[in-house]
Amino acid sequence: MAGSMKDIKLRIKSVQSTMQITKAMELVASSKLRRAKERVEQSRPYFETLYRTLYEIAASNTEFSSRYLTQRENKRTCYIVIAGDRGLAGGYNTNIFKAVAADAGDREFCVLPIGKKAVEHFRHTGAQLLTEGYPVVADLSVGDSFEISRLVCDGFLKGEFDSIKIGFTQFVSMLTQTPSVLQLLPFDAPRPERGKAARNLILYEPNSEEVFDAIIPEYIAGVVYGAMCESVASELGARRTAMDSATKNAGEMIDHLNLYYNRARQAAITQEITEIVAGAGGGD
Amino acid sequence: METFALKIVTPDGCIFDGRAQKLFCRTICGDVGILPRHSDYCTALGMGDAHICFEDGTVRHAACIGGMLSVLKGDVHLMATTWEWAEEIDKARAEASRERAEKLLAQKNLDARELELAQARLKRALVRTSVAK
Repeated sequence: MAGSMKDIKLRIKSVQSTMQITKAMELVASSKLRRAKERVEQSRPYFETLYRTLYEIAASNTEFSSRYLTQRENKRTCYIVIAGDRGLAGGYNTNIFKAVAADAGDREFCVLPIGKKAVEHFRHTGAQLLTEGYPVVADLSVGDSFEISRLVCDGFLKGEFDSIKIGFTQFVSMLTQTPSVLQLLPFDAPRPERGKAARNLILYEPNSEEVFDAIIPEYIAGVVYGAMCESVASELGARRTAMDSATKNAGEMIDHLNLYYNRARQAAITQEITEIVAGAGGGD
Repeated sequence: METFALKIVTPDGCIFDGRAQKLFCRTICGDVGILPRHSDYCTALGMGDAHICFEDGTVRHAACIGGMLSVLKGDVHLMATTWEWAEEIDKARAEASRERAEKLLAQKNLDARELELAQARLKRALVRTSVAK
């Protein structure tokens, strides 16, 4: 009996130390999450305005063509996939990989992974990688997103791939994060039918095509940066939730173990008394 | 003086949201000035000095690199990739960046991409140093 008591005691100790770690990770994630959330909110207006302007240019102008608008036969897609640098964030990494795989189906594609887990995953599955130069998602800057944008825009214009999509995790709220795949190029805008176009009274300088072509790379960089902010916030949110439930589970486990421990202790005492009583009876 | 609503946003957040008398900045086809009651307008921004004349008449300079300028129904939106007020520019850093870029450009064995990167760095550094003066 004493042996099992000691075992339970040890087990309680080990669960307790795990609980301490998960608790600490939860606290770290929630304090980082606050900053990441602010960054998401700050970056949103920039992209929304950029997108709206591009959309308006493309939608209101019929005599207008851009190299970024042409729909080609979709032979190869380039996916920019943003995942985390670390595990222990619930289903965060798996979910985004699943979403991308579902979107890609069995068509040909290449990947530009961002984040350590993404690089590892796609290297493991044997997908063609555009570059492995972005293994740390947490400290990517605006400048890096411009690099990425240039890289994929060049590839698109050279015809290395016919469309560009980005897979990231949308930060809906502290508790909900949804993985999503967005098409970046060719720019997806409803083209008005000829003769039906709304009259466009905006003055474009030098002309709408050049403005459009100059803004597209900025827009892509903007989306990449925004997606990065969202993903980082989502990762922290997912980790916080996962660690919170891990801590709760550990607490429950300790309660159970304590119960077993007390039972074992009680059993040991009862046995001892029985032995004493039996011993006293035998001495008569 | 008449004023117009001006909003300046960058990926790092909103820089300015208020009213101004005049706005000058460099676009991909030269310098432009925006005054109140401008017609609807849209263009892409280049790299260069930008300055704003605020409601109270004070003028503030900034280094503005890349992005877009739009005027819609009298509201001016400036979406810049980088926007640094002249007094906030780290002069020493810009100077160091300029020297580094010049050194790089002095080497003759750069490939096309490295050359482009070094040139872009030099341009940015030059814009910053000229605005910071």
